[in-house]
Amino acid sequence: MLDQLFDGYTRSILIFTGIHAVAAYSFFLPFKTGQVSLGQAGFLAVGAYAAGIMTQKFGLPFPVAMLIGGLITGAIGVGVGFPALRIKGIYLLLLTLAFAEIVQGVVMTWEYTGGAEGFQGIPYNAYTLDYVYGALVVLIVFFARLERSSLGRAMDSIHEDETAAEVMGVNVVGVKLLAFSLGAFIAGLAGALFAHHVTYVDSITFNILVGVNILMFVVVGGSSTYWGPLLGAAFLSLLPEFLRMLREWLELLPVLWWDSFPMNRVYGFVYEFLDFENEKRLIAYGIILIVMMIVRPDGILTRDGLRRFRFGRKADHA
Amino acid sequence: MPEPAGGVCLSVRGLTKRIGGFYPLRDLDMDIACGHIHAVIGPNGAGKTTFFNLLSGVLAADSGQITFEGRAIDDLRPVKRTIRGIARTFQNIRLFRHMTVLENVMIGQHCRSYASLWKALRNVAFHRPFGEVREEREMRVHAMELLEFLGLADKRWAKASDLPYGAQRKLELARALATQPRLLLLDEPAAGMNPHETEELDDVITRIRDRGVTIVLVEHDMNLVMKISDRVTVLNFGTKIAEGLPKQIQGDPAVIEAYLGQDASL
Repeated sequence: MLDQLFDGYTRSILIFTGIHAVAAYSFFLPFKTGQVSLGQAGFLAVGAYAAGIMTQKFGLPFPVAMLIGGLITGAIGVGVGFPALRIKGIYLLLLTLAFAEIVQGVVMTWEYTGGAEGFQGIPYNAYTLDYVYGALVVLIVFFARLERSSLGRAMDSIHEDETAAEVMGVNVVGVKLLAFSLGAFIAGLAGALFAHHVTYVDSITFNILVGVNILMFVVVGGSSTYWGPLLGAAFLSLLPEFLRMLREWLELLPVLWWDSFPMNRVYGFVYEFLDFENEKRLIAYGIILIVMMIVRPDGILTRDGLRRFRFGRKADHA
Repeated sequence: MPEPAGGVCLSVRGLTKRIGGFYPLRDLDMDIACGHIHAVIGPNGAGKTTFFNLLSGVLAADSGQITFEGRAIDDLRPVKRTIRGIARTFQNIRLFRHMTVLENVMIGQHCRSYASLWKALRNVAFHRPFGEVREEREMRVHAMELLEFLGLADKRWAKASDLPYGAQRKLELARALATQPRLLLLDEPAAGMNPHETEELDDVITRIRDRGVTIVLVEHDMNLVMKISDRVTVLNFGTKIAEGLPKQIQGDPAVIEAYLGQDASL
């Protein structure tokens, strides 16, 4: 449906951007209750493998497999969420990181899905674009409602002061566990979508950097509003494309004054930097992250910032 | 002492908290009568805040029993105690600073409007995307009543951290009341308030009592304590040194000694 609107290249970029955004939301939900997870890559892997097994080995149709993959991931999320209840901050980061490592190890040694050779021949899903953006719409509606609901407020209150929230009657254990496992469920969906688009996954696909990237999407986009993960994922995923465009424009410039020292060096540097291959992207990510932490530690979008743009707020409900 | 009409609301037996070799609270027995304003006073470090932390479940007691309305609550998590009907405020204000005044109060109502997590999630996930659910509307109306009661209604959109100190104390009170408690633990509600605000507060506390809420009050402002409390317990070094009517306490030599030291001549 959607896929006929775009050529293959654009389609591929849009798909990956969308999957990144879904993954970013899977990080955002536990983060709303103050739980920072670097292990979302592990959940992506579980979702990818579970759904892949369902379609390839059991011949289930993709939507069913995706849902089963999500549910299995969510169940594992409950399991990881329990120990995560008691620990905070850097220790929780380590726990989730360790979880991702465990998943990577299991995936690498599990012969049923190809072991270290990777899981090959996952059926290709021609409608990934529709599924991805359908899922995104559902997620955005869900988060928009969450932000205006009592459950969303309860999550925010846990983020701010867990003890006070508990004493004020918020079921901290339940809400945190719910947020963590729902986040895992969303990650499982993202993993399933990813696996059936690229048709080949292995343990390296879901390495630690994937978890870091997902965290970056949310941190850069803004973690206090539900538009943040979408913006961050879109911004960082499309950045290489913007830079590629910039480079093409740079070539259009009259080159006379670029040819002499020192401008030829500057030109060379910029030109090379804009040539965005994988390694250099990481340099740029690092620089962007450092600048962001100094200039806008709360991300590009913040809740207060959005409020300012809401002209003539509905005066008074009560 | 005549027995109060409503019976015993909260009863504490042998309550002890130990940190290493130090006892913030040791072997405390106390009965709090329904419908009373029961003040707990004592010098700094006497164990008053520890007492509150044990009652609300923030800290676990090392030994002793707490009975609320005839049922033991020792093994309950803080949230379960809140649902049973015990609410508290904090000495060092612990509002949700980035949330608005109205949202802070609505957090207090969460446990009443959404008894189960499933109901809360269902209202998010399966309700039509636009428009407000019935529970939300009821919560907001009730929250506004509370804010009007405490004189904060016109500040409902303000961020909690933007409020002046006295108003933040009032907001803590509103948030605690939003959980619909039958026992309210107030930890130094008048701290940092000016005399005018304290006078208002004394009126507010009395009115809350008249609504049928039992109040335990930890407070350093002796004028306030002596004026509004029905009964006073004095703690020192984690043990009870005196208990009685405000007038009896004022003249008690043990109390004077605890506050002013031995050989103090007034």
